Amino acid sequence: MNQESEKIYDPKTQSSLKNALASVQLTIFLMSLTALTVLIGAWCPQESASGKEKVIEQFGADTAKLLTQFGITDIYHSPFFLSLIAMLTVNMIACSFLRVFPRIKLLQKPLPFLSGKDIGKLPVNTSVALKGNDQSALTALAVRLSARGFKVATSGDKLLAEYGRFGRLAATVTHIGLLTLLVGVTITSWTGFSGFQPVLLNSHLDFSQSEHSKLWVGKLPTWTVRVDATHREDYPTGEPKQWFSKLTVLDTQGKEIKTQEISVNNPLSYDGVDIYQSSWGLDHIFLNFNGKEKRLDLQPMGKLYAAFLPLDQNSVMIFSVRADGIIKVFAKRPDWEAPRQLGEITKDKPAKLGPVTISLIRVMPVTGLQYKCDPGLPITYVAFAFIIVGVLMAAIPHRHVWVSLETGSKKEGATGNENKTDDMAPSKILYFGGRSVKAKVGFERLIKTLESQMASEFGIPKVEISEAQPTEKLNAGHTNESSAQKKKEHVLAGSSADSNAKDAQGDS
Amino acid sequence: MSEMQMALTNTAGITSVMSFWVFVASNGFKNRKDLLVKIGSWTLTLAFAAVTAAIITRGIDAQRFPLANLYESLLWFAWATMGAYLALAKAYGVRQLGWLASLTALLMFLYGSWLPQSQHDIQPLVPALVSYWRWIHVPPLIISYALFFLGGLSGFIQLYQAGRIASLITAAATVSLAILAVVLGTFTSVETAWLQILFAGASLVGMIISFKLLRRIDKNRGDSKLAETYDDVSYRCIAIGMPALTFGIITGGLWANHAWGTYWSWDPKESMALVTWLSYAAYIHLRVHRECSAEKLALVSIVGLLLTLMTYLGFNSLGLGGLHSYGNFK
Repeated sequence: MNQESEKIYDPKTQSSLKNALASVQLTIFLMSLTALTVLIGAWCPQESASGKEKVIEQFGADTAKLLTQFGITDIYHSPFFLSLIAMLTVNMIACSFLRVFPRIKLLQKPLPFLSGKDIGKLPVNTSVALKGNDQSALTALAVRLSARGFKVATSGDKLLAEYGRFGRLAATVTHIGLLTLLVGVTITSWTGFSGFQPVLLNSHLDFSQSEHSKLWVGKLPTWTVRVDATHREDYPTGEPKQWFSKLTVLDTQGKEIKTQEISVNNPLSYDGVDIYQSSWGLDHIFLNFNGKEKRLDLQPMGKLYAAFLPLDQNSVMIFSVRADGIIKVFAKRPDWEAPRQLGEITKDKPAKLGPVTISLIRVMPVTGLQYKCDPGLPITYVAFAFIIVGVLMAAIPHRHVWVSLETGSKKEGATGNENKTDDMAPSKILYFGGRSVKAKVGFERLIKTLESQMASEFGIPKVEISEAQPTEKLNAGHTNESSAQKKKEHVLAGSSADSNAKDAQGDS
Repeated sequence: MSEMQMALTNTAGITSVMSFWVFVASNGFKNRKDLLVKIGSWTLTLAFAAVTAAIITRGIDAQRFPLANLYESLLWFAWATMGAYLALAKAYGVRQLGWLASLTALLMFLYGSWLPQSQHDIQPLVPALVSYWRWIHVPPLIISYALFFLGGLSGFIQLYQAGRIASLITAAATVSLAILAVVLGTFTSVETAWLQILFAGASLVGMIISFKLLRRIDKNRGDSKLAETYDDVSYRCIAIGMPALTFGIITGGLWANHAWGTYWSWDPKESMALVTWLSYAAYIHLRVHRECSAEKLALVSIVGLLLTLMTYLGFNSLGLGGLHSYGNFK
């Protein structure tokens, strides 16, 4: 793969700037630096996500100040990180156009059929001496290779099989995806907006508080959204199961355009803006104390909400409100161990506490609405698809197998079979071998399996002797040494080579 | 937890302990090796079947897809580790990975069994998790973590077979310290800041020393042919783990966009997953361009293992918060 890519992209003929920008060393360096930066960002709470208070709470005021000074509390918007991403982008564009994309051309180039001699030089190669004289062994091998997903082409006594050809496009597809992602993200950043607004029942959501990037050229909608109803659905245990809000879109004149109930994971979409249910709560209650209306603000307390009404310096009245609107009234004094329950108020039933009658006017819920406009989203989704397909393709090993059926001659061609053809009448030898860029061991095993299948079906009986030592025939990775040298090596390796072969065969 | 589910989970735990010891023994008794490896493989297959059944039973008990908290994810992790090992053993005949795969699975069972009862109990889902995206987004991630673990473990054996004993020992000590930090963070009340320092410091120092020690080669140990095999196994794990991780991150983005209105919010867990993704992207670039020796790549895969550990377990136990705190129980 590397050798071939060098044919297209030769660093020597390119300018040094181009060289530097398209270098893989730079890619690795930038990736590592980006990873380290993101790691720091994951470790330190980010102001944009959890607020400044969280940083101070975790590290103390002094350290927090220092972290803010170095830009660590907002690292993803820091000039350092943004220029890192910019450099990674430039590097990726340079690599894509100089190295990766030109590889598509290679796919169109047909590969030559190889002779037995050339097959002997392949990283994985072997040969089987045949007992017959016909082509049936070649046909059988072609069938076996096709069955394993190889695309087989034949020419006379020669065969070329290829597997996972499109796996070679993995880098191209992934890089196209990553570049497309960048386009999508940039469009969104320049024209999109987002925000969060807690909205009370019967109130409106507008987009005046939207957040957007500094280089923004988009525009905000003029329509608004009214909250017509909102409620919470609970599990029997009282844990929240789902939140619902009924929303109506209103144009500038107040005309109703669209009504929809949203819930978590089920947003409303209108005019390129999506509105999401993101949180829910009770905001305040209106109570009637002997005909006098009073508003009490609520605070979330576990599963419940509570309002506090101080009576005098020491005692306080507590209203504990359930999401379904049932209110329990407690009183607390410093000399009491626990608050005492005084009564219960529901929509229809007021509580009588001595001379005071308290009735419920209404509970005011608040729905947390998240909204966003993301014009680059379709492009981003296309990018996602490309990236997923690209990395999936990267797992496909690209393999070639060459086969040649030749009249037996023991001096040339593939190695390791010298003694097989001794004392035999001239017969045919099936040379085969190949290469695999990924999953080399699996490929060696495939060739080994094919070899033993061919040998048992079509080989001369003597083959069985050498079958006991498969590694001797299968000379992976040693292509340019002489046979004599090899023989010596095998003698030296002796029993350990034998046990390797067994280990490699393992449980199959 | 129903009795059936308990029995199945215990069976899986006990059989994984057994297969671990049988695999260990197989390395000791050279003349009984084949038999012991066979027994080990069968025991591990049994453990795999038991945990598969345990996960299914839990799903039936809970009436939902059984992958919603840390405990359930640990069962899935053990399941994926054992399944991936069995597949690798079939394809490559890699036997020494057996004891490391069983060890990983049994550590996950042990970790899971030590978790508080609330994790073992079947709890109702919080609103954010009520979505079909849960079973699209989470399993690929857990599977990718398991594959990255196996990739790193193959890296260890590769270092041994390449005679890089000193480097191997340092890297193993580094990973052990990282695991210690995670365990302390989960089960004790040691200040998380110290544990973060332990995890990050040990990883940084340990891996730098490991890289430096690659120059020391013990020629009497190992077998270069097997080193090549484990190099290939490691690459295979990562080459398959990478699409799974990518798929998990992207479907997470789609879910987040669907639920929160943004596909990326720099949540700490998202960021950690991105760091892991970047590290394996770097690994693949290093490999494709052949600028690194096989042993250096093995160490890169171990760095990846540390980052995966951080993303998966270190994240909650070492006190990084965020939107993905479903595994939190303190």
